Amino acid sequence: MNRWTPDAIWIERDEDASVLARRLLARLPDTPVHIVGDPREAEPLDGFGAGKRRLVVQRHRGSFLQHCPAGTTGMVCCNYLVMNFAANCPFDCSYCFLQDYLANNPALKVFTNVGEGLAELDAALRRHPERTFRVGTGELADSLALDHLTDLSCELVPFFAARSNAVLELKTKSDCIDNLLRLDPKERVVVSWSVNAETIVADEEHGAASLEARITAAERVQAAGYKVGFHFDPLIAHDGWEEGYPATIAKLFRRLDTRRVAWVSLGSLRMTPRLKAAIKARPQKSGVVTGELVPGADGKERLWRGLRVQMYRRMLEWLRSVDDRMPLYICMEPPGVWEKTFGEVPADRQVAERLVAGSA
Amino acid sequence: MTERSVDAALRAYAAERKYHPTTIDRWLRLAPADRAALLELAQELRLGENQLRDLWEWAEEIAQRDGLSLATVLGAEALAAARRRAVGRSDKLKLVKAALRRLRFPQLGAAEDRLAVLVRELGLPPSVRVTPPESLEGDSIRIEIVADSAASLHDSVARLLAASQSPGCAAIFELLAGAR
Repeated sequence: MNRWTPDAIWIERDEDASVLARRLLARLPDTPVHIVGDPREAEPLDGFGAGKRRLVVQRHRGSFLQHCPAGTTGMVCCNYLVMNFAANCPFDCSYCFLQDYLANNPALKVFTNVGEGLAELDAALRRHPERTFRVGTGELADSLALDHLTDLSCELVPFFAARSNAVLELKTKSDCIDNLLRLDPKERVVVSWSVNAETIVADEEHGAASLEARITAAERVQAAGYKVGFHFDPLIAHDGWEEGYPATIAKLFRRLDTRRVAWVSLGSLRMTPRLKAAIKARPQKSGVVTGELVPGADGKERLWRGLRVQMYRRMLEWLRSVDDRMPLYICMEPPGVWEKTFGEVPADRQVAERLVAGSA
Repeated sequence: MTERSVDAALRAYAAERKYHPTTIDRWLRLAPADRAALLELAQELRLGENQLRDLWEWAEEIAQRDGLSLATVLGAEALAAARRRAVGRSDKLKLVKAALRRLRFPQLGAAEDRLAVLVRELGLPPSVRVTPPESLEGDSIRIEIVADSAASLHDSVARLLAASQSPGCAAIFELLAGAR
């Protein structure tokens, strides 16, 4: 996979002397740089795709630590926390929710005040020593796709490795793992990959690493002492899904040790009306808008429930036939779907505990 | 009709119905045959802007999925049959929409048909109404009983109780649960 580089860098005035800005300038000596008073000056006017070509370096305003927005009322939730050290992603998956979520603010941003974010997290961990937190950095950004430029993992992994009541999840579709191989996670870091059927990876996940490259990267970090995770999210009911998904499962677990898999999640494609409109407005046509998606109670469209539950059950069958001890969960689904899929509706706390146990 | 006359008719129709300029622009950017087919449908059913957009969106998604033109989708026999029905405009619109929905959601439509058959086979009286969840997005069915006397209520409940113990009733819930 080619390592992403921006067409131009925009640095917020007063942040140009930050460690991150200096590192970026050193690694991208030929990239045009603009110093701006207000980072919004860097916002491109020519659409979401163009926004991904510009790197904005700025301070993060507000709290870093957030509850995962998947914990919507009426959905079973895994009590996951997210920290956004970047916003937007160099990859251009056709189904990506950021096309809606960041529609008005699409530049690719990296935040300079990582230390403040970690101090905020440290305070939370100290306030609740009885609790183990699962924290991810892959909600508004790919956790590793910019790591060759930012070295963010070199700050995060040692931070978590030194703490006993938190687990970091680095979620990615990249194979940027070189930094990770030099660090010791001390069982406090899970590196996870979003994976899909080969045809979905090829047709819909533009710019991301190939499935083969993701598996090779997973194999390497597992060998380096990390636990790994996989997210079959979004599951897409394409022609041939009943062959495509088990083929991906077979490819993954032919090469990975299932005892060192922290968790595997499943999630059906979810789409707001605005996301659907954004996907349709992009120059590259995507088949994801033609699925049999219907509106749910939360206003998002999903594959209609009968077919969705069938997909979850089949996935469960295939995954359990590999190793029935791997912790599995489904994301953003109501209790009824959990019940029909797993035959039980665990409390949010139970889901969280099982996943913490998986990472231990 | 020539392309120019289709465009003139389209503009006139859209102006009369006070369509938003962006909708008109988008319509005019369609291929000539698609533009004309959509106009014919709009005129025939006297579609307001939202009604047109709903049908257009489904038709466009079917066209993309099946590799067809919009005109071909709008000319499908299922839609043509609905349009031939000798009913009022409002009923015809419902029929066209239902036919298009069937094309847009074929697996969901088939499941809804299976469910309707299962409900029919319960043999419930007209006083008992069974409503499945919208787009089958849910586990629960709604049962309504209309009664005008204690005797008719007793009869409806007795028949409902008998139906609830039938294999068909179990099959309804299995279908909602995602069984094939």
